[in-house]
Amino acid sequence: MLRKEQNDLLTQTGPETAMGKLFRSYWMPALLAEELPSNDCPPVRVKLLSERLLAVRDSDGRYGLIDEFCAHRGVSLWFGRNEQCGIRCPYHGWKYDVTGQCVDVPSEPEESGYAKKIKLKSYPLIKIGDVLWTYMGPADNEPPHPEWEFALVPPEQTFTSKRLQESNWLQAMEGGIDSSHVSFLHSGSLNTDPLFKGSKGNQYNLNDKKPVFEVVEQPGGLYIGARRNAEEGKYYWRITPWVMPSFTLVPPRGDHPIHGHFWIPIDDENCWAWSFDYHPVRALTGDERQAMIDGKGIHVRYVPGTYRPLANKDNDYLMDRDAQRAGTTYSGVEGIAMQDASLQESMGPICDRTKENLVSTDNGIIMARHRLMKAARALAEKGVTPPGVDPEHQRVRSAAVVLPPDQPYKEAAKEALRVRPGVAQASV
Amino acid sequence: MLSESARMASAHEARFRVAYPNSVPRSIKVVALDEPSRRLVDEVSRLPWNKASFFTSMSFEGATPRADDSSIKAWLSDIAGHTKDLIAEIDEANFVVMVASAGEDAQGASVIGEACLARNVTTIGLVVQSPETSEADLSRTLSHMRPFAKMLVIASGQDYVEVMLTALRA
Repeated sequence: MLRKEQNDLLTQTGPETAMGKLFRSYWMPALLAEELPSNDCPPVRVKLLSERLLAVRDSDGRYGLIDEFCAHRGVSLWFGRNEQCGIRCPYHGWKYDVTGQCVDVPSEPEESGYAKKIKLKSYPLIKIGDVLWTYMGPADNEPPHPEWEFALVPPEQTFTSKRLQESNWLQAMEGGIDSSHVSFLHSGSLNTDPLFKGSKGNQYNLNDKKPVFEVVEQPGGLYIGARRNAEEGKYYWRITPWVMPSFTLVPPRGDHPIHGHFWIPIDDENCWAWSFDYHPVRALTGDERQAMIDGKGIHVRYVPGTYRPLANKDNDYLMDRDAQRAGTTYSGVEGIAMQDASLQESMGPICDRTKENLVSTDNGIIMARHRLMKAARALAEKGVTPPGVDPEHQRVRSAAVVLPPDQPYKEAAKEALRVRPGVAQASV
Repeated sequence: MLSESARMASAHEARFRVAYPNSVPRSIKVVALDEPSRRLVDEVSRLPWNKASFFTSMSFEGATPRADDSSIKAWLSDIAGHTKDLIAEIDEANFVVMVASAGEDAQGASVIGEACLARNVTTIGLVVQSPETSEADLSRTLSHMRPFAKMLVIASGQDYVEVMLTALRA
């Protein structure tokens, strides 16, 4: 349960809000690189943290994220002509470079220097891996570039997708650290999904349906461990790292790729659910990559030409009551991602947490909210850099390991929980 | 035309959710297992709570009984120092929170935990650690807590006791 003011604090991410400032401390995924595929390609409208922006790639391949609207009469520059290192407004020809600097006002003499006096708000946009990242905070406080492993491995080892989720970011993110729902909502998928099935770890899951949870703080956020009984008195642990503000990794299964997510606010009622799969030491197979493209695992199929899931609230998520009755899917909705999204969107655009009744297994969520609020306040009141900004906090992995019964998993699986280039993930 | 799901998930429809108290307070027993935790629990107990009550385990004050030992009937003390019947307290609990400090002896967890297990009462273990806590210290505390806690939280700050209890509507 949260008080209303706490819920407001955590869910509002527009400019000048506490949580908005927190998000503006990080490099965030803004677009897939495929959305700006070539120099002078069409610009893309982007809304992030309640700001309407335009992503552009100029004639020299430079990326930029600028205010969507022309400073002259407020026209959307999405209609602009992307030409000769700038985007030109089609209304009266004003032209801007990727930093938002106006470089031409055709109605005014060049000698007047008027163009130099016009500058649109802009943010840096950089390509790392398959993703274009932006930093929307103060320019003099720009953090080091992101070092998430999924974005740094060679391209053949990684696959990233994004989907529109029509809910506030927090209820989406909380699903990622709520390990206890997996035994219900996704129970139909463990043995059928091509990106999950076939691991020994699945047997531990199925043999022990009442895992015990252990939440441990770590410098960048949390580890959430789910413990099940293994052989000879040992424990099978599935360990999910959460790094602030909204990054999670799903513990691996067998030699399947590692799955993970970012949840990035579009505005207070919508977010981008970023989903990626990567393998630290080998290329994804053709079958694995095709399964991801086909919407298996944590990915989705799309409404053609969009990043909106094909199963969405407008078609009742293609609810299949026969599959629900037969147990093929637990909820009647197909696919892990939309099983989550359908329920999270049903909470309403912004979940009212004053009415919820949390239980013991919700401690991961309770602790994550606590850490977020604490960091947002420390940033607002004392300018303290929040956890997760430091690239060291980003060098984490999820792990599935069998350990002796008395060991703290954070220490016992210390090596497994950090990025080790060239070393495979710890998995069962 | 919008689907039923699309209409029902809108902000407009959220205004029509039925407004009523959808739960009654749960009976939550918070037990400190060692002296540093006792001080922490004592402090938290002074805050206003719905139906939480606060105790200290007597394990660190005297001998450790077995779960079937009749002496466990008087094996808790409340914050004011009055002896309380462990079984009676657990019988009326919806869940029990055991608070331990990393590195301290959390042996009381076994008696309380076994009593909770026997009565099918959920237990949450909360281990408060400081930056100075060693792995060996934490291991020792965990080994006492793990067999009995359905959910175990290892928190680096003392404020989490209050945060968690508030979130659980204690």
